[in-house]
Amino acid sequence: MAEGVVSVEKTRERKDNLVSKQWRWALRRPMNLEKLALLVQRVSGVGLLLYFFFHIFVTGSITSGEQAWSGLMGILFNPVAHIGELLVVVGATFHGVNGIRVMVLELTSLVGRPLRPDYPYKTQSLGKGQQTILYTAVIMASLSTIAGIVILWGLSL
Amino acid sequence: MKESTLQLVNYLVIIALLVTLALHLAMQGFLGVSGYENALEYNTALARYREPLSASLLTVLLVAATYHGLFGLRNILLEVRSGPRWNALVTGCVLVLAIAMLGWGFRTIVVAFGGF
Repeated sequence: MAEGVVSVEKTRERKDNLVSKQWRWALRRPMNLEKLALLVQRVSGVGLLLYFFFHIFVTGSITSGEQAWSGLMGILFNPVAHIGELLVVVGATFHGVNGIRVMVLELTSLVGRPLRPDYPYKTQSLGKGQQTILYTAVIMASLSTIAGIVILWGLSL
Repeated sequence: MKESTLQLVNYLVIIALLVTLALHLAMQGFLGVSGYENALEYNTALARYREPLSASLLTVLLVAATYHGLFGLRNILLEVRSGPRWNALVTGCVLVLAIAMLGWGFRTIVVAFGGF
């Protein structure tokens, strides 16, 4: 090799598609509460968008008259669809409350002040305020599961 | 439009979405209906489109959910890869989806509200 010429090794980059890239990120360690919340937020967000897309076109059948509407609702009114609808309600509740946490985090000083990382290196990013909202999101999602089951399956408490 | 402006609009949209979605879900279960089965009946559903306040709620919900959902999808996709071509492709696809969703949604609301 000539003097002054540096051998540069080409960066080895994985040729992953979009989905596998996301999966690798999701399963990569360390897994903490904040990352788990982001993961659930993303999965629920994409799921809700997918549901919303089909929901617009399904509800559009109302303009085709009673027969078309009732026929479609007859197909969709079954236990399997109810489970899907329950997931939508639970996902929307968690996504909403956790979204408020993220919004408050971005717009207020909830994130906390930066501190020097001293032993025993406590995580500063997920403070008590944030944790409280996150646990509220989980509790609200659990309550919405109960409410959803009662409403969708017509149970009486 | 600047990304910061899009994000500011997103904050406003989130607030509108939280209120309208909560009302929409309540209206499927207990608010003004005797149950979920009753909410899915043709006449109950049509009455919602014919009532101005309820139709306005559906319109705000449609716009807010479409904007927030597609803005979120765009953000996820832009995090995966970068570059001006990818940016243009993602933004273009998201705009096409927005036109389809808003177009069909508005069509349903207007036709059902006006009678057919």
